[in-house]
Amino acid sequence: MDIEVEGRVEMVTLSLRDGELQCVSSDARNDGPHVHAALQFVAGMETREDSSPPGAVVSTAPQSVEQSAASELADALDDLLTAITRIGVGKAQHAPSVDAALERLIGAAPKPTPSGLGRFIGRLQQAMRSAELRRVVRLLEGASQLADALRAGTPSPQAELRIAEWLGTRPGTRPEVELLYDRTMIEVAREWLPGTERASLERRYLVDAQSGVVYREDRLRNATASLGPCPRQLQVGLAEVEAGPGPRRIRVLQYEVEPHVPAESWDCLRQVASQSFAEVTESYRATLRASPSLAEPFALVAPFRVERNGVFKAFDAEGHQLMLDRSERRGAVLAFYDLLAQGMEPSWLAGRLTDAGTTVCLTPFAIGTFDGKYTRL
Amino acid sequence: MAHNLDTDVDTLELCLREGIAGNEYADPRETLGCAPDTDDAEVARALVRIVAAHDLAQLGMQSVHPEAARHPSVRPPTEVTADPSFLGRLSTTGDEGLSVERIEDVQTLLAVLRAGSRRQRRAALGRLGERLADRRLLHSDDVRKAIQVISRLRDVELGYELAQLRVELPGTPGRAARQEREQWKRLAQRTEVEIRAFWDGQSSVDAIRALPGDQRALLLVRVSELSDLVVHHITAIIEGSDGCVRLESRIGLITSLRYARDPRLVPALVAVLEAERGELVASAARVLGGMDDARAQPALAERFERSFVAEERIALAGALGMHGDLRGLGEVRSSLEEDQPKLLLQALEAMENLGSPESTDLVTKFLDHSDASIAIQAARTCARIGDGRALDELTDGYNATAVPALRAAIEDALSAIAARMELRGEEAATIDWSEVGNKPAPRKGPRDSLPAISLGWRDYFMGRLWLLLGRVTWAIARFESAATRRDDWAVPLIGIGMAFTRREQYALALPAFRRAIEVDRLRIERNPILVRAMAKAFLHRAEQVEREGRDDVARGLVGEVLTLDLRRAPGTVRFELKRKHDVLRRGEQGDVHSAA
Repeated sequence: MDIEVEGRVEMVTLSLRDGELQCVSSDARNDGPHVHAALQFVAGMETREDSSPPGAVVSTAPQSVEQSAASELADALDDLLTAITRIGVGKAQHAPSVDAALERLIGAAPKPTPSGLGRFIGRLQQAMRSAELRRVVRLLEGASQLADALRAGTPSPQAELRIAEWLGTRPGTRPEVELLYDRTMIEVAREWLPGTERASLERRYLVDAQSGVVYREDRLRNATASLGPCPRQLQVGLAEVEAGPGPRRIRVLQYEVEPHVPAESWDCLRQVASQSFAEVTESYRATLRASPSLAEPFALVAPFRVERNGVFKAFDAEGHQLMLDRSERRGAVLAFYDLLAQGMEPSWLAGRLTDAGTTVCLTPFAIGTFDGKYTRL
Repeated sequence: MAHNLDTDVDTLELCLREGIAGNEYADPRETLGCAPDTDDAEVARALVRIVAAHDLAQLGMQSVHPEAARHPSVRPPTEVTADPSFLGRLSTTGDEGLSVERIEDVQTLLAVLRAGSRRQRRAALGRLGERLADRRLLHSDDVRKAIQVISRLRDVELGYELAQLRVELPGTPGRAARQEREQWKRLAQRTEVEIRAFWDGQSSVDAIRALPGDQRALLLVRVSELSDLVVHHITAIIEGSDGCVRLESRIGLITSLRYARDPRLVPALVAVLEAERGELVASAARVLGGMDDARAQPALAERFERSFVAEERIALAGALGMHGDLRGLGEVRSSLEEDQPKLLLQALEAMENLGSPESTDLVTKFLDHSDASIAIQAARTCARIGDGRALDELTDGYNATAVPALRAAIEDALSAIAARMELRGEEAATIDWSEVGNKPAPRKGPRDSLPAISLGWRDYFMGRLWLLLGRVTWAIARFESAATRRDDWAVPLIGIGMAFTRREQYALALPAFRRAIEVDRLRIERNPILVRAMAKAFLHRAEQVEREGRDDVARGLVGEVLTLDLRRAPGTVRFELKRKHDVLRRGEQGDVHSAA
């Protein structure tokens, strides 16, 4: 409930845990004036000034339904940011105020929860669980940018694009899509990702065999997408690519599936893979700047040289190094090391780009070798 | 006031980590240049903006951060270490310390093959294969005995390894194995063509689903040798991205891969663990348990930690046990102690990989369970635990039961325990089979008269002749006549059963086989050709009635044949019968959860 004391409004969460009533206000205090006021109210010692049900402080200015919904969502995003900042990233995972702010955000979002927002919530919960400050901050910065875009009376094209990335295209606006014809694409990896629920989104990574551009095909649980195993080769007759955070989302509309990818196609992939790690790093930084919350860059890289003595190190021709991220997909990393120990010579690697202590790293998803072999990790 | 940006950002990061409310270290308002009474919301936004901007600016600026350079060192244990004996410490890999790869003595390898864990048995078989490849040793007594054991071994769990090794054997077993391999090649080629047609849109039928159960088991026993196309098709079904296969069929396919070890299957199985629930997860966990792959244990452990479905947790615990991770032991023990009927079979199965001699009493109490499949599984679990204290209970169970399959399982268990005791250096238990078990019932009634015998044989041979000429009806009439001339004579009944089985008229073959079993069960059980035909007849008939939607009848048929001693039937048929029995049993309990 929202409690106002001396002109300051705080959200107070009351919960029953292990038979004990726990109270905490959104300023992270459990014995502050707002908590005392809330307890008095619950005990019936204080009456509300009005008879309306407790909830968010409602703006009295007349607004259209759409503006009101957008404003409510922006407020919910701000509340979430404030709740996490007050309690601290280290303690946010178990904070009732953060849980309540997330619930409010989901409540204020359009139904069903748009995949962009859902993925933001999933990533934020994951980052809070591991108390990764940098990731939480980037996610909150993106949320803050969305709140600004939602509040803008007449959103700029950039703000409109940002809203579309998060919430899908709004009624009355035209989706910004690029049409692709007659392309050969190869799916190199796929994974299940958390959204508002665990494993609510399946993501497939498709690489254009001619240009090396990576696309993502997202499929919500129980929804349909293109058919076929991973890996597979798709002869795409027609596809739509949405503008948005990298990798851009693709909708494959007309296609033929080849479940066996020929060795020549793997060779094509090796040729179009990024060979400069400096460029990979720069592209990673640019993608994150453009969309700090939603970008989940994925790269296909062809190392010039690989070192395997104990620790895997990949180098490009200029001597720049690319490390493996060992914090995610531990099994895949271990399997990757096992393959290296067995003498596998990777000619290209596909994986999600992340960073550890400001160093750009790669979480491995797939490996290709010079003899046209592919291994999904 | 000029600020040192790095110091300021460090302060701001500390504020963000610890929280700005009640932070006694620093107030970000001053660092951010805000008024002391600035609203928290405004401070929070400014704080996040500055720290995020600094973070993004720093990206890629340092060469290599030490945190990023660390090697993943936490590798899960792969060997069971709870047992300090020879077998408990026997590693399956590496050429140092106690490793199967270093064992030279064939007798010891044969004992490991009887008593070891699945991994140890696989490794022992591999090592035996190396020894057999040495032509100089072929004529030694030990190697001759090894060849005999390998050609007689009916271990379903080692189906692929046995098939590979038998191909190299001399004589009849080798020829039979090579013939089976050729049969597999033809089947694989045919399946590949059908899969290509499926993805080209020329066929809407999934080739693997359309295969009869024993053919599917035969195809998948050598999954490691299948082409990428077929394996990718299988992974599409496992992940549910083929667009046509139903949930039950997905579960069916995953259970058919129970003993597969192909690493190409691992990502799809891990995806099932991550995204699905219920029986799909349990089936995938059982397959991953047997995989020697670094991805399996972390995925199983992660799923175990967040699963709350008892059926899933038991299967995950068992699978983790195969990787030497005993975190689920307590839960499996509880299921057995509480005697939860729905979980008994799975808990006993999981105990195969988790159990130690401490669990012997807990397991042996199920040897006299009224449900034969539970008693059989208890005997199997005793075999894997290998505690000599179970010998008495097993012998009692053997003498008390009339179920041939249970007696067969107990025989195997006694042999495994004896081998384990031998490997532990204990006095090997010598089992006097003459003192164990039911003696053959004395023949009742008078012997058949000489004319009856000769007329019976005449009718029988006439029946064979009509069969050769293709006159089945006349042949069956002659066989029936032969059977009525003599009491307790199973030969003509077997002839009827075989004739109908060859013509794929399984519904007609069953009554004849049933009568033959009633008259002379041992004749069928001890003859590999007869037991194979009989088991296939039951299996195929069960598949037919299942397709008609009569699951209860199918369950009855599979349950009936599984009470017999099928050790001489082909491993693929036994595997498929057991798999079908498990699936139908779970269907009866309503355990096939929606994978939504």
